[in-house]
Amino acid sequence: MQNRTLIQGNVAVGWGALNAGCDGFFGYPITPQNEIPEWFASEFPKRGRVFVQTQSETGAIMMLYGGAAAGFRVMTSTSSPGWGLIQEGMSHLATAELPCVIVLVQRGGPGQGSIRHAQMDYLAVTRTGGGGGYKNIVLAPATVQEIHDMMQLSFHLADKYSNPVILLSDGVLGLVAETLEIRTLQFEPLPEKTWAARGRDRQGDKTRRFIHTYPSGAPPPRSCPNYVSWLGHLGEKYQDIIDNEVRCEEYLCDDAELVVVAYGYPSRVCKEAINTARAEGMRVGLTRPITLWPFPYETLRKKVNHGCRFLVVEDSLGQMIEDVHLAVQGRTSIDFIGLLDRHLPTDGGMILPGRVLQEIRRLA
Amino acid sequence: MTRETQNKVKVTALDRILFMPVPGCPGCQHGTIGRIIAEVLEELELDGTAIEVIGIGCNSGVAMLNVDVVQGSHGGAPDTATAIKRLSPDSFVYTVQGDGDCIAIGAGSFIGALTRGELITIIMCNNANYGTTGGQLAPTTLSGQVTTTTPEGRNPAVSGHPVHVAELAATFKSVAYSARGALTSPAEYRRTKKYVKKAFQKQLDKIGLGYVEILSACPANWHLTPVDSIKWMEEHMIPEFPLGEFKDSDGKRNLPRDKQE
Amino acid sequence: MAKGEIVIIDVNCRGCGFCQLFCPKDCITITGDRFSPLGYLLPTFTNQDQCNACGICAWMCPHLAIDVYRYAGKGAAKS
Repeated sequence: MQNRTLIQGNVAVGWGALNAGCDGFFGYPITPQNEIPEWFASEFPKRGRVFVQTQSETGAIMMLYGGAAAGFRVMTSTSSPGWGLIQEGMSHLATAELPCVIVLVQRGGPGQGSIRHAQMDYLAVTRTGGGGGYKNIVLAPATVQEIHDMMQLSFHLADKYSNPVILLSDGVLGLVAETLEIRTLQFEPLPEKTWAARGRDRQGDKTRRFIHTYPSGAPPPRSCPNYVSWLGHLGEKYQDIIDNEVRCEEYLCDDAELVVVAYGYPSRVCKEAINTARAEGMRVGLTRPITLWPFPYETLRKKVNHGCRFLVVEDSLGQMIEDVHLAVQGRTSIDFIGLLDRHLPTDGGMILPGRVLQEIRRLA
Repeated sequence: MTRETQNKVKVTALDRILFMPVPGCPGCQHGTIGRIIAEVLEELELDGTAIEVIGIGCNSGVAMLNVDVVQGSHGGAPDTATAIKRLSPDSFVYTVQGDGDCIAIGAGSFIGALTRGELITIIMCNNANYGTTGGQLAPTTLSGQVTTTTPEGRNPAVSGHPVHVAELAATFKSVAYSARGALTSPAEYRRTKKYVKKAFQKQLDKIGLGYVEILSACPANWHLTPVDSIKWMEEHMIPEFPLGEFKDSDGKRNLPRDKQE
Repeated sequence: MAKGEIVIIDVNCRGCGFCQLFCPKDCITITGDRFSPLGYLLPTFTNQDQCNACGICAWMCPHLAIDVYRYAGKGAAKS
C-alpha cells in the first residue's frame, strides 16, 4: 500500500486504527458505516488482530469494556441508532475509567431518521446518554486525512486519560473518497497499564485486579477511598481534559467581523463561501471546533471581545448553537443556517456554499 | 488437650483462592458455587491466569475469589468475556451470572456467545428469582411460584413458563458442553463440581463453549428456612429442571453423556 | 477415635444449619445458646470423636465458616 492513495472516509478509520496499534474491533452492521466493519473483517484477522461481529451494539460496547479491562486498544463504530444502544455501556466505561474509541458516523434522526448524512447527534454525544453525568472526549474530523490522523489521536487521548473517546464523523465524510497519506503519528509515551486484568500471577505485584463500575464498593484500581472522593477525582480528570485538550481551527479570523462556527462537512462548505466573501471584501472567518468536548468556549469568547458577530452552520435543527450561546452569553448576535436550509427537502439534501454565502452577504 | 499437640493438615484449604466470604443471606449458596469454582481452579492450576467476568446481582458475591475479576453490565458478561478471551487467548476466562442476568436481560449476549462458540465458560446460578432486588420473577421462576412480582404465583398465561437454559445451550452446534447441577446434597455438590471441571476442560482443550447451570438456594426470597429451601429444591426445582449433562462434545462428535442416577 | 476436627469461624457463620444437615456423622449441632457477632445461631462441634474429617461440612457451608483438619499419622514428622 503506497502511502498516498484515494481512500474513502470510512476506510480511513481502519488504516488510522491500524497505525494506532488497535488490537481489536467489535462492531455491528448499520448504514452509513458498514465499510468500517467490512474493512476490519478483511484486514485484521490476517494481521493476527481481533475482529468480532457482535449480535448488537449493546454487545459491542461491552466487548470494548472487556478488551479495555484486559489492557488492549479496542474500538467499535456505529451510526446514530446504534449510539442509543451503547449508552449503558458508555456509563460503565466512564466509571471503570476504561480507554476505548467509538466512531460514530452520524445519519439522519431521530429513530430510523435517514440513512444519509446529518449532524443530529451533537448533543447526544457531547452531553452523553448514559446515567451519571460522565464525559466523553469528542473529536470531529472534516477530511479523510483528519479521520485517519484523529483515529490515532483518539487512541492516544483514550489511554492518556483512561476514558472513552468518540470520533464523530457523518454520512458525507464516511462515503466521500479523498487523497490520504497513510502514516503513523508519534505521541508522548504513556505509562504501562498495570491496572489491567491480565491474570493475577501475571501482574508484577501478584495481586488480583478487580475492575468494576461500583465505585462505592471496593475501591477501583485508582484507590479512591469512597464514592464521593471518587467522584471528586472524576471531576478533576474532566477539568484536566478541559484545561489541556481543547482543539480548534481558526481560518481567516484575525480581522473577522463575522465568525462562522461549523464542524464536520459543513465547515468545508463554509470555507468555500468564506473564500468567495473575502474576495468580495467581506471580513469573515471560520472557527471550526475540532474537540466538541471539551468545547472551545474561550476561543469564541475572545472573538466576542473583538466585537464579532456569529453565524452557526450545522446540519441539524440547531444543537452546537447551544454551546455557542454558552460561549457568547448573549453579548452579541448569533445567526443560524441549519438542516432546513438544505438545497433539497429530501434526506439527500445538503447545506451548500451558495446558501451560506447568501447569509454571509446578508449579515456582513 | 491432645488436640493442639496432634499435628493436623487442613483438608479444605483454598487459602490461595478463597479469601472473602460471600456477603449473602443465610443459606445463600452463591458462596458454595464460589467454592466449587475455587476448587476446580486450584486443581487445574488456573487461578493465576483466570479472569472471572461476573454479572450484576447476588451472583456478584462470587467475586470473592482471589482471581482477576471484571464486572461490566447487567447481562453483558458473555460479551465482556468474549473480548477478553479473543484478545488474550492464554487467559482462562469464565462468567458467573444469575438467571435473570444470563437469560433475561443478557439473553442477547448469551445467545451471541453460544452462536459464535466462544472459548469461554458460562456458569449460571439458577435460584429462580431476582435476588438482590428483593425476589422478583425471573425467567426460571417456577409456575405458581410466588415472587414480589407474581404475588398470586407465576401464571404461565401471563408470564410464561420457566426457561430451560441447559437444554437450550445443548442445541447450539458451537457449544461443546452443557450441564445442570444442584447444591442439594454432598453428592450433587461433587457431581456439579465434575460438570464445572469438564466445562473448564473444554476451554483448555479449545473445543468450544462450556455452560454449567447450578440450582442454588435463595432462602431469603423463597421465604423458607435454609434447610427447607433444600427440600423445596428437591421437591419443586429439580423436577422442573432435570439435572445432568445435556451435551458433551469433543468438537467432532457428541460423546456419551454421564447418566444421572 | 476422631480422624480430625473442625473449626467454626464465628464471624463468617450465618446460622444456616447446612453443616448440621449434611454432616454424615451428626457431629455438628446448633444448640441455640451460642450467637455470632452478627447474632446468628452458631453451630457447635459436638460428637467430636465421630468426625472423620471428610470435609462435607466445609463444602456445603455457603459462608466459608468451617475449616476442617485431618490428623496426620502418629509418626508424622512435625513440620
